[in-house]
Amino acid sequence: MWPLRKVAVLAFSMLVALAGRASAQDLRIGAIFPLSGANADYGDLYMGATELAVSHLNDTKALGGRLSIAYEDSQALPQQGVIAMNKLVNVEKVSYVLSAFTGVSKAISTTATRSRTVAVNGGGVGPDLAELGEYFWNVIPLANFEVRAMAPYLVRKRGLKRFVLVYVDDPLGQSIKRELESSLPSLGATLAEALSVSSNAQQFSGVAARVRDAKPDVVYIASFGAQQSQIIKQLRDNGVTQQLASYSGFAIPAIASLPEAKGALFTTQRIDWNSDDPVTRRFTREYQARTSRAPTAYAANYYNAVLLYGTLASTLQKAGLPITGENLLTKRREIGAFDLVGGRVTFEKDGTIRSAMQINEVAGEPAVVETVAVH
Amino acid sequence: MLLLQLIINGIQVGALYGLTAVGFSLIFGATKIFHFAHGASFAISAYVFYYLYAVLLVWWPFAILAACILVVLFGVVLDRYVYGPIQSADGSFFTIFVGSFGVAVVIQNLIGTVFGRGFISVPSALSRSVETLPGLYVAPTAGIAVVTAVVCFVALQLFLGRTNIGIALRALSESPALVRTFGLNPKAVSTCAFALGSLLVVPAAVLTSMTSGLNAAIGGRVMLISVAATIVGGVGSLRGAACAGLLLGIAENLALWRFDPQWSEAVTFLILFAFIVLRPSGFFGRVVTS
Repeated sequence: MWPLRKVAVLAFSMLVALAGRASAQDLRIGAIFPLSGANADYGDLYMGATELAVSHLNDTKALGGRLSIAYEDSQALPQQGVIAMNKLVNVEKVSYVLSAFTGVSKAISTTATRSRTVAVNGGGVGPDLAELGEYFWNVIPLANFEVRAMAPYLVRKRGLKRFVLVYVDDPLGQSIKRELESSLPSLGATLAEALSVSSNAQQFSGVAARVRDAKPDVVYIASFGAQQSQIIKQLRDNGVTQQLASYSGFAIPAIASLPEAKGALFTTQRIDWNSDDPVTRRFTREYQARTSRAPTAYAANYYNAVLLYGTLASTLQKAGLPITGENLLTKRREIGAFDLVGGRVTFEKDGTIRSAMQINEVAGEPAVVETVAVH
Repeated sequence: MLLLQLIINGIQVGALYGLTAVGFSLIFGATKIFHFAHGASFAISAYVFYYLYAVLLVWWPFAILAACILVVLFGVVLDRYVYGPIQSADGSFFTIFVGSFGVAVVIQNLIGTVFGRGFISVPSALSRSVETLPGLYVAPTAGIAVVTAVVCFVALQLFLGRTNIGIALRALSESPALVRTFGLNPKAVSTCAFALGSLLVVPAAVLTSMTSGLNAAIGGRVMLISVAATIVGGVGSLRGAACAGLLLGIAENLALWRFDPQWSEAVTFLILFAFIVLRPSGFFGRVVTS
């Protein structure tokens, strides 16, 4: 009996060892997206892009094993984000986490720094996100750059000088308010009124009355998710006919298809969807085929974030180095520039990409968003 | 003009708050069940109306009728198959509340799965404001909301005062034992309370789908207002709930005259707090002694 038992134990040990070897080759990254709640539309949009990037990387066999993503639901809430981050770092043991929303990103940044896990934001645009340490990267230009592109365009090109801001009283909204307050006077424009709303407010007929009373030339909206659609509809329904403007939060299908949003202007980083560069062309074509949606800046950002990981991880594997947060950071600094959707990008010292901006117009039916100016 | 505009906005919003609050108050007053899923009833009727009217292009009276039937069915099924068994097993007030809360969460997620969690609205010319006086904008929905609220409330009062089942409902809120003494079945009367209370959310839900728009989580806000209005109006008083709903709507909007919009929601809680401290029995409620 003993030899048979020994053989069985040996065989089992070999199986376990082989299984361990196989799983060691597979790669896993984390993603903390809003998958439920009022902002779940964003999570859905981001996942479409990240899954496409994963399938592209796996198809090209650029990595030593198969890449997959462990998704966690933040509900766009900081506390849920922290719980998700702790799980990804301590249980899933990932070295690279995709993050979204300014509040959530700020909340998880301390864990990222402490555990030396790279956190990459492709959706939050609060300017504070550039100051969260070397392990926190942004593959999206932040809101201060968006306001700096939009305000001169509205004042100089459209002759709109009296601004009213309707903003959610959170780090993003506050930063946009600060940016408008500091940039408008030098342009000869004024911020006539800044109306803060809570993130769960749903009634805006009274806000529309206040907006009308301030007699603005342009209304800048700094909200997100379902709420920004509610604001637009209720402003329009309640007699606010002035130009609407916003940041890249408007770059979602829900806004593009909202009749009341027709003519609204918003900023995003510059991406030429008709570009000949192979990365952009492949993304644009296959994203549309896979999701039946037009590509957006947000989708491109999260596709880029996964692609960036693929490039860094592949380089580390070739060098025989383990894929840790520290090594990913070192390699990003060494490589410097990356070919991503939209063209070649470089990171600033603060871990944020710098990009040209563009002003987009919601053109209404059939939900086409046009580029009308580039800064 | 801003002040007048805010008052008119407040009356419109308050009329809708009043309708939802009266439905909740009727159920709570008659059955003593904290029907947290009342917000889910609101969401169901709004989404059913949206789907039939805006997506399938069904004629609006049929869409409203379908919303009424489904929401009444929802209320009755909850009473019979969720609250009833809990009560039969001597479930406490808190157990029933947790059960109702669970149903509300399930419905919210079901709506999110079926219709998506983003914003939707029923496109209608009725929600478009027109300038009736210089600087004063009023939408047809404002008038419709006020007229509907008044008609519903008067009809409800007549029903409760002049029909046998209405009188039985009032009796149930006083004493279930008394209802039994008169040969009536308290369970059947309770089911009527759920049917009627659920039905009352339909006008508010339909109008909200046109004016403010909808999202899957809208039920939570509806419940907040309903509970606040029920307490401020006096538990068990339908007249009180209607007046409190109106008061909350007007106060929320009037707060915008001098304060930032983010403080307008806090006004609801300030009023609630003030009533709890200064007049716990509410507008028209009775002081309960044990």
